[in-house]
This record gives sequence, C-alpha cells and structure tokens, in this order.
Amino acid sequence: MNERQGNLPFLLNCSRVGDVVKNRIFLMSPAIFIMLAFGVVPLFIMLYYSFLSDGPSPTFTLQNYANFFQKAFYLKLTWKTIQMSLIVTLISIVIAYPAAYIIAKVIQRGQNLLLLFIIIPFWTSQLVRAYSWMNLLQDGGILEMFLRKLHLIGDGSLGILFTQTAVIISLVHIFFPYMVLTIYMSLDKIQPSLLEASKSLGATPFETFRRIVLPLSKPGIVTGSILVFVPCLGVFAEPRILGGPNGSVIGTVIEDQFFEINGWSFGAAIAFILLVMVFLSIWITSRLIKRGD
Amino acid sequence: MFKRISSWLYILLIFLFLYTPIAVLVLMSFNESPYNSLPFTFSTKWYSEMAHNQRLIDSTLNSVYIASITAVISVVVATALMLGAAKASPKVKSWVDSVIILPLTVPWLILGLSLLLVLKTLGLDRNFVMLLIGHVVVSLPYAVMVLKARMDGMDHQIEEASYSLGANEWTTFIRITLPMLFPAIIAGAFLAFMISFDNFILSYFLIPIGSSTLPIEIYSSVKFGFTPEINAVSTLILTGTLLLLFVIVLLMRSSLKSMMK
Amino acid sequence: MRLHKGLLSVLLASFLVVSGCGSNGQGTPDTSGGQGGNGGEQTLVVVNWKDYGSDDPEMIKAFEESCSCKVVHEYMASEEELLTRLKTGGVGKLDVILPNASILPVAIQEGLLEPIDVDKLENYQYINKTFKNIPENEKDGQVYAVPWVWGSTSIAYNSNVIKDEIDSINVLWDEKYKGQIAFRDDFNDAVMIAAIAANQDPNNPSDMEAVKQKLLEQKPLNRTYWKTGDEFSKLFANNQISIGVAWSGNTAAMKQAGQPIKYVIPKEGAIGWVDNWAIVKDSPHKDLAMKFIDFMIGKDFQTKWVNKGGPAPVNTQVVDNLDPAFVQEMGLDEEAISKLFFISYHTEDEKKAWNELWHEVKAQ
Repeated sequence: MNERQGNLPFLLNCSRVGDVVKNRIFLMSPAIFIMLAFGVVPLFIMLYYSFLSDGPSPTFTLQNYANFFQKAFYLKLTWKTIQMSLIVTLISIVIAYPAAYIIAKVIQRGQNLLLLFIIIPFWTSQLVRAYSWMNLLQDGGILEMFLRKLHLIGDGSLGILFTQTAVIISLVHIFFPYMVLTIYMSLDKIQPSLLEASKSLGATPFETFRRIVLPLSKPGIVTGSILVFVPCLGVFAEPRILGGPNGSVIGTVIEDQFFEINGWSFGAAIAFILLVMVFLSIWITSRLIKRGD
Repeated sequence: MFKRISSWLYILLIFLFLYTPIAVLVLMSFNESPYNSLPFTFSTKWYSEMAHNQRLIDSTLNSVYIASITAVISVVVATALMLGAAKASPKVKSWVDSVIILPLTVPWLILGLSLLLVLKTLGLDRNFVMLLIGHVVVSLPYAVMVLKARMDGMDHQIEEASYSLGANEWTTFIRITLPMLFPAIIAGAFLAFMISFDNFILSYFLIPIGSSTLPIEIYSSVKFGFTPEINAVSTLILTGTLLLLFVIVLLMRSSLKSMMK
Repeated sequence: MRLHKGLLSVLLASFLVVSGCGSNGQGTPDTSGGQGGNGGEQTLVVVNWKDYGSDDPEMIKAFEESCSCKVVHEYMASEEELLTRLKTGGVGKLDVILPNASILPVAIQEGLLEPIDVDKLENYQYINKTFKNIPENEKDGQVYAVPWVWGSTSIAYNSNVIKDEIDSINVLWDEKYKGQIAFRDDFNDAVMIAAIAANQDPNNPSDMEAVKQKLLEQKPLNRTYWKTGDEFSKLFANNQISIGVAWSGNTAAMKQAGQPIKYVIPKEGAIGWVDNWAIVKDSPHKDLAMKFIDFMIGKDFQTKWVNKGGPAPVNTQVVDNLDPAFVQEMGLDEEAISKLFFISYHTEDEKKAWNELWHEVKAQ
C-alpha cells in the first residue's frame, strides 16, 4: 500500500485509493457527470421554457409551437437550413475522404504534420474568413482577376458571391477538416496486413476498397458527418454575409429571438424543434446504415 | 509512382482550397484600406493600431486562458474516462459513447442558450464557471474522440505483459499506458483548445458582464470598427502557432531519434 | 487583473476536483469575488458601444485627468442586451449607460434609472431642442436621459456611378438600379423605410400587409442585405453596390476616407435616432457620472468627435462652427432634421410582429 502511494502524490490523502484503482470504472464519473448535468439536463430546462409565455409572469402555453407551425416560412427556413447542411456534409465527405485516405494509407511520412496543417485554419476567426471569401468571390474580386489572367473566363462577372454557392463554399471550408480527421482516425486503425491479405487473395484494389476499407471507415464518416452537419444547422454569420438577399437561415431567426427581441421562449421552441429534427435525421441515417450492413 | 504523384497533387489542391482564404486574410492585414478593398497598398498601420488596442489584446489573452483551461480539463477528464471505460462491459461502453457524443449532436447555439436558461432558472449571473463548463462540454467529446481512436489502435498486450511481470496498475499506467497515450493526449488537448478558442456563441451567451473573448471582440468590432485589425491579430496568432509547432517538431525530432537508438 | 485571478482559482479548483478522490462530486468554486476598484481613485463603469467615441483613449484620458478618476468601459451588444444587463445585476454596479428610445421607457418604468437634474449639467442648455423634447427621455416631468449624438438612417449612393439627382425614397424600388441596391437587414429599419415609402406613419404603420408587400417588391432588386456598418462599407468600397440604405455616421466616416459617397434625406423622410446617456439606479458614483455626461455633451468633446467622423452632435455650438457645406451634405441642418421620423418606443409585441414580418419577407 505504501509503495503504491509513493507513486501517487495526487492521491495521498485519499483513503480509497485501492477501490478507485481496482474499480477503474469509477474514473468515468467526471466525464459522465459533466455531460449529463451540463449537456443533457439543460436541454430539458430549455424544453420547459419553450412551453412558457414571455413576459413577467410566465404561464404554460402551446402558443410558441403553434406559432411556428402556423407560419409556413419557419418550416421552409428550417428545411432550407437542413438541405444546406446536408449538401455541405456530402461535399465534405467527397473531398475529405480521398485526403484522409492519402494521409493514412498512401503517404508514408509526415502524416501528423499534414493533419496539423489541416486543422491550423481553426486558429482564424470564422467571421474574418467569411470576409476573406467575400474578397475572393466577389465580382471584380481576386478569384475573378486570377481566372481572367488565365483566360478561363471572359469579361462577364463571376456571379458567385451572394448566392447559396458562396455560402456552401465557405461552410465546407470551415467544417471539412473535421471530416478529414475522423475518417483518418478510422482508416488509420485498419491494419496494413489486412489489406495485404486481401490483395494476396486476389482482390482488385477496388474490391479491397469496397469490401474492407470502406466498411471499416464507416464510423469515421458517420462521426464526421455529425461534426459537419450539426454545427452547420446553427450558423448565421456566413449565410448573412455571403448569401445575399436569399441568405436567410433558421439560425438567423433563433439569433434574433435572443439578441434583437425578447423572444426567449419562442427561441427555445424553435431550438427544440430543430433539435428534434437533428435527432430524427441522425436516427434515420443510422437506421439506413445498419440496414446497409 | 502515378498513385503517389496524383496523391500529392490532390493534397496540394486541398491545401490550396484550405489556405487561399487564409492567405487573403493575411494579405488584407497588410492592406491599407479599412474596407479590404483593392488595389493593394502595403501598410503596417493595422498592426500598430492593434498594438494600441488594449481591449483586443486583453480579450485575446482571455481566449487563450479559457481555451488552455478547457483543454487541460477536457483532456484529463477524457483520459480518466478512457481508462475507466477500458474495463467496462460492452453495454456500459456503448451507453457511455452515446452520452459523450450527445453534445456533438446539439448545435452550439442551442447548447449555449440552454446553459443560459440554467443560469436564469438558478437565478445566477453569467459567470466564468458556467462559461468554462460550457466550453468543456463542447470540447470534451473531441478530446474523447481522439483518445478513443488511440486506445482502440493500441496494442494492449504490452499492458498485459507489464502486469504479468508484476507491475501494479499505477506503475503500468505511468510507465506504459500514459506514454503510449501521450501523442493522443497532446492531439486531444490541441483540438479542445481550438474548439474553445474560436467559440463565439457559447461565450456570447455565458460571459460575465464586462469581459470579452477574442471572438466576442470580433463580433462587436464589426459594428463600428474595422476588421483589418482583426486580420492582424489572426495573422499574429497563426504565425505564433506555426513558430511554436516548428519548435515542438524540432524538439520532438531529436527526442524521437534518441528513442530510436 | 480580476479575470486572470478568477481563472486561476477555477483552474486550481478543477485540478483539485480531478485529482482528488472525486467523492465530493463537482466543486463549483466561486470566482465572482469582489470587484471594487482598488486604490483611492474612483472608477466609473460606463456601458457603451465599442469604438463609438466615448471610449476614445485620447479623449477619455483628458476626462480622467480632469477628474482624477478612472473610466472602465463595458460594451453592449444590443439595446435589448443592455436592458437585460440592467435587470440582471447591473443596478448598483454600473454607473453610466447609453440607451436609446427602444428601451428607455421600460428602463424608466421599471425603476432602473436615476432621474437627472439637468440644471446641474453646464452644457445641457446648448442641446438642440428637437432632441430635448423627445417624449421617451422623461417621465412625470423628470428627465432620465440626456441626448448625446444622433444620426439618421437614409439613402447613400456612389456619385461616380449614379449621376441622377436622388431625392425620393422610391429609388430603392427603382428597377433601374436592380442588382446595385443594398437594403438594410434589420426589422426596425426595414419596416420603417417601407412604411415611409407606402405613405404611412413609420412609427405606427397602420397597414402591415402593405408594408410587407412593399418589402417583397423591393427584395429582388437587391444585390444583398447588409447588417453591420462594416458590411456596408466593404460592399460599397468594393463596388458590389452603388446605392442603398445607409447610416449618416458611417457615410460621413467613409467620405472622410475618400469614398465617392453621397448622402441624401429623401423628400418623403427618413429614420432618425438619438443615443442618450443615462445614470443607472443606485450608481456608486453619481457625481462622477454627472461630470462624465457633461463632458460628453460639451463643445470640446463633441467637436473633436464629429471631426473624427463620429455621428452628429446634439450641441448647437458645435454644429454652428462646422463647415456649412458639410452640414448640408450630411443632413445635419434644421431642414433635414425636420424631415426625420425619430424612432419611438415600441412594445415587445410590436417588435415581435415586425421581426416576424421581416423574417417572412427574407424567407420568401
């Protein structure tokens, strides 16, 4: 016992060192506690608020939900936001997968350095990056000048800024590094011997990919998709700055309820509806994937 | 050979996409126009403006502090979780997995708002404890993810060997498990730091009256100020990070070599 | 620094929790601590907009030296947020705030503000009477807010691109400028401007359906909407737009930066706003707060700020000394002021309805 404690300056005062060490499951409690108390419980408090009326003496009401479904445009905006997030997620998968594969399986040296450079842009503010995209994409902007120098476009203007395309480009730019990371992590786990075995059994590279690599990297794709899809639903700055007159998304509406008008409980209701939609789409996707297996 | 060349070409393209806006950002920090407009006129005006903007400097430091604490807490809690989960039954494991992944499925806007509502319900002012908790809730899953990937890929036979040679659990942990986990701990901390550092929405909801973080400062300065100053800060942070990484890589390289010998 | 200490204690506490037995669960250390200023100097806490004159280091230094005190700035994100701050712990801690008509009546009604004895302010007499007579600033004959600066939200255009004489608000609905217009993305401005164009009282539009139709008609003509002043400046300076809704203050600053921008108050009228200083109930430093406000409306400060590109001063001594051409161009003259509809107070329900209408228009 003494010897053990000698290795454990942190726990010197603890009487139950033995228990803790024997029953390592105990170590999980801080993480579980934080997640339940501050990740899950607050959502129920939000649900509670969404059934209250605003004002000094709140009463129980369904008005917030009724209001959402009475006006068609709230649903329309929500759907539009989900669509946009889906597109961003799909594009991210398509461009991130090869990158992750190359880093994990093709390149032999410097993987960590490459991964590092994939996440370094996180250091710069999203808002400032949105302005950079404005500089790049605007008519008469940097990209247009560059393309014209290369004679790839004529005298016409580029016409990308203030469209949905501009918003999607900027969101893919912000979020696809997450996808590279998660797919890389799942690809990295695949033992090279497995691929060798497949090859020696006569499988073509494509077959190996389809039968072994792709199924084994699925968890990475799924996690990555969540990491891209979910934050996309909550963005509001990029659509406003780059999306033009039709840039509005549901995040803008929620933002306004708290920052512009005193619509806390309506904001909570929209947030909750959005949350339900997120859970539904994740559930449906996971069902589809399971069926695919 | 073709495979390798096309692979590098693809990586090059990805980095071109990733870094072009960053290059523009850096470029605009040296452009005299307050409106990011061209033609480009070189100027270091925004750097000197930034150097005199005490508020901007303070809020940047705040962001660094908050992100560092978040990273430390996240990675310690995540490591504990992983060690605990290693011996848990598969059922408990999958349950833990879904609890940990949950915050990832909640948009930050909603999480920030729900934590603010918690404060409102408890009748508390916005404070740093809640702010940190919020940051930890969003950063922890990322740290867990990185550690989990490493744990799964680790060769646990070495640990078993350690036990069979008579080492107790803690010796095994300190001498075997921790060194093997170390790269993932660093990577997890790094990721948690970044998630916290650029988080606007949670800070905006939870920061105490009168304090500010860099993302909040950025959002309030676009109201009346100019962004080239912000570009200048971003550029400095990027340069600082790169230098730091460069030093770390250099140091690691020599230690890696000595380990190989 | 207070914050650093607080963070350190959190770090320490969390370290203890993590490295301790964990049997006592999650400790929640209290970091709020005391926040009284140390030393003999008085510390005045001012809530204002960032980079909005009142936090100009040079001018604040002058004030700090004159009263041997220290001014601490806190920044607001919106009027609503300022009001929330007052309601949740601001009273007794904050000294001076910068509200406008959208929250003043509520703040006064809920007893969050101190009445101000304007006779004790040396410079109050020089304030243009249009602004002194704003109903939202007082209650039961007591003044609660002192006008500081004002401005208008109207139309600005690129004089290099547009050579026509612009004098009507209907240019924003003119097909000729399709794709060159930037309307403001703000429910208040949007509804008010559309109401002016539809010949309604912008502070009290009677036919909201007509307002909505007006906005829907206008929408396809836009290149984009803008929200922050910075966005407008960037759009304009990068030639993405050539005409749009604009702020007088922002326009003046851009003109000084050499942009070919021209500002007009159309004949139908435009939106006017006033920012006021108010003293928070139970302010710990009331006398100092009065001195600060007096300094802010004084000739010296107001002259300096307007010359640095700030919004319009309320002090008539200052306006009289400005270049008449500039006064006329920026719409600071009496004639322009008379055309403005000053934003009045709106109830929560009105704001929600306007906000919803605006979101509906944007979602179409």
